[in-house]
Amino acid sequence: MTARKFVRKAVKHTALNAFFIVCCFLALLPILYALSVSFDAKGSLLSSSFSFIPEEATLKHYIAVFTEEPVLQWFGNTMLLTAATVVLAMCCAVPAAYVFSRRRFPGRSTVLRSLLLLHSFPSILSMFAIYKLMSTMGMINTHIGLIVIYAGTMGVFAMLNMKGYFDAIPLEIEEAGKIDGCTDFRIVTGIVMPLARPSLIVTMVMIVNFVWNEYIFSINFLTGSDRMTLASGLYSLQATETSGSWPVFAAASLVVSFPVLVIFFLSQKYMVSGLTAGGVKG
Amino acid sequence: MNGKRKSYLKSWMISSPALILIGLIVVFPILYTFYISLTNMNTYHWFNYDIIGLKNYARAVTVFDSGFLEALGNTILWTAVNMAMQLVIAFVIANFLNVPGLRLRNVYKTILMFPWAMPGYVSILLWKTGMFNSQFGLLTQWMEQLSGQMIRWLQNDVSAFICCTVVNLWLALPFMIMIMDGGLKSIDRSYYESATLDGAGPIRQAVSITVPCLKPVIGPSVMITLFTTFKQFDVIYLMTQQVGAQTGAHIHTVITYAYENAFITNNYGYSSAISVMIFLMLIVFAQLTGRRKEADA
Repeated sequence: MTARKFVRKAVKHTALNAFFIVCCFLALLPILYALSVSFDAKGSLLSSSFSFIPEEATLKHYIAVFTEEPVLQWFGNTMLLTAATVVLAMCCAVPAAYVFSRRRFPGRSTVLRSLLLLHSFPSILSMFAIYKLMSTMGMINTHIGLIVIYAGTMGVFAMLNMKGYFDAIPLEIEEAGKIDGCTDFRIVTGIVMPLARPSLIVTMVMIVNFVWNEYIFSINFLTGSDRMTLASGLYSLQATETSGSWPVFAAASLVVSFPVLVIFFLSQKYMVSGLTAGGVKG
Repeated sequence: MNGKRKSYLKSWMISSPALILIGLIVVFPILYTFYISLTNMNTYHWFNYDIIGLKNYARAVTVFDSGFLEALGNTILWTAVNMAMQLVIAFVIANFLNVPGLRLRNVYKTILMFPWAMPGYVSILLWKTGMFNSQFGLLTQWMEQLSGQMIRWLQNDVSAFICCTVVNLWLALPFMIMIMDGGLKSIDRSYYESATLDGAGPIRQAVSITVPCLKPVIGPSVMITLFTTFKQFDVIYLMTQQVGAQTGAHIHTVITYAYENAFITNNYGYSSAISVMIFLMLIVFAQLTGRRKEADA
């Protein structure tokens, strides 16, 4: 009886593991294929015998990415846009979020309710209006224009997410600081901000991700390959149905994804607490 | 009283940079979109447009082949199919992940998170080129070897819809699996023990214990995913209708329809009317699902 039970358990676990191996394979399939194509020297992608491990490995597609395409320039542009957006959005949103969490003043709940509505509004729907606005201000085809757009779009999320987290920090901690004679400024920088660290990190990671992955505004608002971001550059590089180099595109995709993957897995431990406490997700 | 007013002023002062920024980039364009929706603005009437009232709205709703109602139907179908499949598949996988004695659980979990960690547009482009492309797509090659015929996956509407659904599931499942996995962990094991003692089988346990216990835990995340799916633009746009690389399929959701009318065919007034209607739908949705509760506190 016990032997049969043991066998049944073993069969069940083998089946389960097989199921998960298939799932993981499917989850990695496009990535694995891109990886194999990008290292493949022979260009066996058109041949009928295809395997995931290239017969002959090469780095030439990766070298092509960095030498033939202005990837480094795009990388620099993206870094600049990302850093400036994070700074602008956080400098605006964090103090505002703190005020909306701690103080009570007329108009506060109206603004909060409107922010929640705005948060569900996809910015792509008002893109044409933004385009007209930016062209009146002469900010089409400039990085400053995009920075302002990105910071404003993510500002709603940043404010709501940070406000939710500040709400969860007990007021007593601040009062204790006040009794000890701290100034308001010192309370915020010395007590509240360190406590809000998980949420600060998550909010920043979300903004970085947003800018890093945004292509639709940058392909419509920027022209010329020297201004492009990684996302819009990659978009322009992609192989179409008949033209373009798919191995180079595959290599470029993986190069672009790598920093995002690193940030994702590094920040994962903060993700749950930093987002759930804020009450506004993705 | 004076001190109070001063403190109100200070609150507004501190929050003004954020509010001005959001006002400029989010609120003003929405109002402006509403204004454009009342005009006949297009490429020929860039500056000298006229106010034409609600004609754009009338055209979208009453002219049947304007395409808006079809896009709306597609969007509803898209949302329903994707949500149903996501919930079922994520439920099964999350349950399997929680089978006691599964040693490699954490390895599987980490690998299954990869589609979520990848930048979305990169994944979509990799799927488009690497999997479905008619020359070097992996699935095209596999099908060719199996059946001997070349399939153009993205050429007709039905198969393009299925392909987009596959890609969207691939992108969205990790989040749902993670949410369900967290939800399953919050269920008290003793329910299952007593159910087993009472003679309930695994399916009966899943229906009577797991599903009801999971519902409140995953509710908010499911609502968010519902909104994301309804608003999904990237998958359908990048897969089938990039400028210069249209694949032949004409599946429009309301969002891609609004985008096409603004930036491809340049019917700015009409496109703005569509945008306003989508926004109103989202507001009604949001009110119905009670998300405004989050505003208090």
